[in-house]
Amino acid sequence: MNAPLLEVRDLHRHFSARTGRLSGRSRTVPAVNGVSFTIGEGETLGLVGESGCGKSTLARTLLFLEPPTAGEVLFGGEVLTPERAASLRRRAQIVFQDPYTSLPPRMRIGRILAEPLLIHRIGDRAEVPDRVAGLMRDVGLSPDNARSLPDELSGGQRQRVGIARALAVQPALIVADEAVSSLDVSVQAQILNLLKDLQARHRLAYLFISHDLGVVKNMSHRIAVMYLGKVVEIAAADDLYTRPLHPYTRALLSAVPFLARRGAGRIRLEGEPPDPARPPAGCTFHPRCPLAQPVCQEETPELKEWLPGRVAACHFALSKSPSEPTAFVEGR
Amino acid sequence: MSDITTRAERPLARPLEAAPAAPTALFRRLRGRKSAIVGVVGLTAVLFVAVFASYVAPADPLRQDLSSILVPPFWADGGSFEYPLGTDALGRDVVSRLAYGARNSLLIAVCAMLIGSILGLVTGLAAGFLGGRLDAILMRLGDVQLAFPFILLAIIILGVLPDRSAAHLILVLGIPGWIIYARVVRSRALAEREKDYVVAAKSIGAGSFRRMTKYVLPSVWQVVPVIAMLDLGFLIILESTLSFLGFGLTPPTPSWGSVLADGRNNMVVSPWLPILPGLAILVTVLSINLTADGLADLFDPRLRKGTFRRIALRLPVPDEPPAPEAAPLLRVQDLRVEFPSNGRTTMAVRGVSFELDHGETLGIVGESGSGKSVTALSIVQLLDSPGRVTAGQIRFGGQDLVRISDRRMAALRGGRIAMIFQNPASSLNPVFSIGFQMREAIRRHGRKADGSVQAAASQSLRAVGIGDPDRVLRQYPFQLSGGMNQRVMIAMAMTAHPDLLIADEPTTALDVTTQAQILERLRDLTRAEGTSLIFITHDIALVAEYTDRVAVMYAGQVCETGPTRSVIAQPHHPYTKALLESVPRPDLPAGIRLEAIPGELPDPARTPPGCPFAPRCPSVMDVCRSVNPDAFAVAPDHRAACHLWSPERTEAVAR
Repeated sequence: MNAPLLEVRDLHRHFSARTGRLSGRSRTVPAVNGVSFTIGEGETLGLVGESGCGKSTLARTLLFLEPPTAGEVLFGGEVLTPERAASLRRRAQIVFQDPYTSLPPRMRIGRILAEPLLIHRIGDRAEVPDRVAGLMRDVGLSPDNARSLPDELSGGQRQRVGIARALAVQPALIVADEAVSSLDVSVQAQILNLLKDLQARHRLAYLFISHDLGVVKNMSHRIAVMYLGKVVEIAAADDLYTRPLHPYTRALLSAVPFLARRGAGRIRLEGEPPDPARPPAGCTFHPRCPLAQPVCQEETPELKEWLPGRVAACHFALSKSPSEPTAFVEGR
Repeated sequence: MSDITTRAERPLARPLEAAPAAPTALFRRLRGRKSAIVGVVGLTAVLFVAVFASYVAPADPLRQDLSSILVPPFWADGGSFEYPLGTDALGRDVVSRLAYGARNSLLIAVCAMLIGSILGLVTGLAAGFLGGRLDAILMRLGDVQLAFPFILLAIIILGVLPDRSAAHLILVLGIPGWIIYARVVRSRALAEREKDYVVAAKSIGAGSFRRMTKYVLPSVWQVVPVIAMLDLGFLIILESTLSFLGFGLTPPTPSWGSVLADGRNNMVVSPWLPILPGLAILVTVLSINLTADGLADLFDPRLRKGTFRRIALRLPVPDEPPAPEAAPLLRVQDLRVEFPSNGRTTMAVRGVSFELDHGETLGIVGESGSGKSVTALSIVQLLDSPGRVTAGQIRFGGQDLVRISDRRMAALRGGRIAMIFQNPASSLNPVFSIGFQMREAIRRHGRKADGSVQAAASQSLRAVGIGDPDRVLRQYPFQLSGGMNQRVMIAMAMTAHPDLLIADEPTTALDVTTQAQILERLRDLTRAEGTSLIFITHDIALVAEYTDRVAVMYAGQVCETGPTRSVIAQPHHPYTKALLESVPRPDLPAGIRLEAIPGELPDPARTPPGCPFAPRCPSVMDVCRSVNPDAFAVAPDHRAACHLWSPERTEAVAR
């Protein structure tokens, strides 16, 4: 079997946070705490989780924008090291959430898109304007906008510029970190469709990060659910929504506001996610979990295949919770 | 200086914030500020004198005429136009000495400023962007320098020099100035380097040097001219001080300080001698500071922000029969809100009407720029300046909120009408505990005894789902999560038992599980209390789940309104339909193509005639481009503002 495009093996990224105001004592915060997954060529892996679960840190760490604390990232079967990360810059790119902070405020659009071409000496210098115009057309922007400053474009247009910048180096993988979360619904749908078109046209793989479960399902082939620095479940997109295995996934899905349901059968998660600097012992979800048993406080469940193609990190992945809501029924 | 580094939260739809690129734009922006113009004019005059000193000065500043010493100025007894401002003790012409003095003083100050600012910009940028040991060394060096009395050091260095030229003064005054610039530039660079666009540059392969010079530098240098202007004023005074103390340019070379010092010796005989150079210094430094103020405005327009202000309007009161018994709690009629700015007027709300019954929950849904928040803010009369209601009525409990006095409005706000916002942490006071703020709110409306106030605070926190209210009451807003703070806000709003609660995107900043918890509590609480709720959101799924009726807004207008079930199940307006179809729903199969609405959201500052949705509408007809449709009834209590549903057309289709 061919090596997957991207393989992440037991990736860790820990920060040290100072705890005492004067004492200078510090504590390790495991923002990413042992994450493993693969992404195939042309595949979209969705990554969902709530704020503070470590999904953005994961994105930056696997692109070596921040150094990993431990673990391996393999690109095309080849282990990446910080020294070899430079080769990654031509094969993997990132698109950010906020179209207002992700573009340099005082650089014209044409220049922003020329930068990757100049840095990597892609094509002739004389060809750069043509290539920039090509990139802009590729993402549905008029090449006339090349002379604009980011401030002069709308949020949707700016996000297209961010996507074009990522495309400039002709990458195989794009990490989209909440790339549509700050857009209005009507514009968001345009960008989601654009990302799908580009995927088909350029055989792109995406790591599509979002907190919006509807958006993630729409975009992804497979979906990984993250909680407190760990992946707790990975499944094919449709399977995850029809039969979530991990109790956290179930709670997450039942919290989604939903056009066709009016508040029926919702798992009320009480409390808030724990402080990442002080993760609970055992399964980190146990203090909020409706299925929790004594074993959950002691043993950390590993990701394990419970059903064909279905992995979850839970001791009781196949049990029903006491207040099981009806599963998502497809269609209107 | 910290306010320069912290950037204000950016609203979604932002007016174009022109970069000060062309000098013409620069002057256009300065024109609005009279004090800055005075500064620029004064500074230009002084610079003119300094540059053209050899033409302005009638005589050689060093030429001594011992036959006419201490001649008074022309207006005084014994003065003449041969020496317009008189002569000094050595018979030198004061006009000439001041003109050449201006040249020397300004030359030294400007060069010293340039050296300090360039040195500071480079070191500050490097320290802030590269960080690490370089940063630590540079900043400790700066601390040491600042701890040392600078003027003393200058005097010592200049004192040991046998001959003091302009270059000496420039170096001694200029180099130590780096730290003023470096500190501010460093803190800006530190903030800037964490921004997404710099990380993105790293991702496309830009090295450190490229990121520092091409990405961070263009965003941080703007602080330098403002500091430089202030520094310049300071340097002119400093140079004069040194000259006055005898550590300036070697005599007889004139500078304002030395002219001042010469004058002091003859102050009793000729009081104008020290006054004239003093005036020159005063005028120059004042001009510089006024110019610096203008520059600060130019480079950081956010400093010029409007404040909450209610502009009382003298609107004609339409003839209205007294409210009947069965009047709704709130009736908004043909509300119009405008934001005039820079000669063009943004019509944020264009004729909005809706009603809200007692105990009813109304959802107002729309995208950015739809006018949903402005509508809410005009109900509580808290429009951001310069926004104002230009027409319409907001009838609440028999009075028109647009026209009642500020005092009565203030009594209603936080009383019968309460409002909660998207960002609860900024609505709570950071320096008071939650308990203090809760008790204040309860006392203001309930006037209870101390013990019962504490119990009531605890009780209302429990009602919004806070399990350990007594601990939370002791805490401060920054110690709580966003979800907890929002619960506190809701609890506080409900202490007054309001008739109407307005929630503006209350859960947009929160996680989906927290959102579900809070909205369910909010629904239970308003139901139990019989409170009417206006729930403003961009998320139509939330409206579907939590509201009785809905108003869909687009471009400042309500395009469809009716019972939520009816609107969601049978949307009639093409925008509502398109909105529902463009939402990626978790109950639809993965990977389907969304029906995106083509085009961009309309610019609220430009309002073409006709239906605002016409340019993006799949069912657009000719009439849509010229006539803005009325709201037509499409089902019981359900109206859509669309020509497709005009009575003429529906009849024609039926036939």
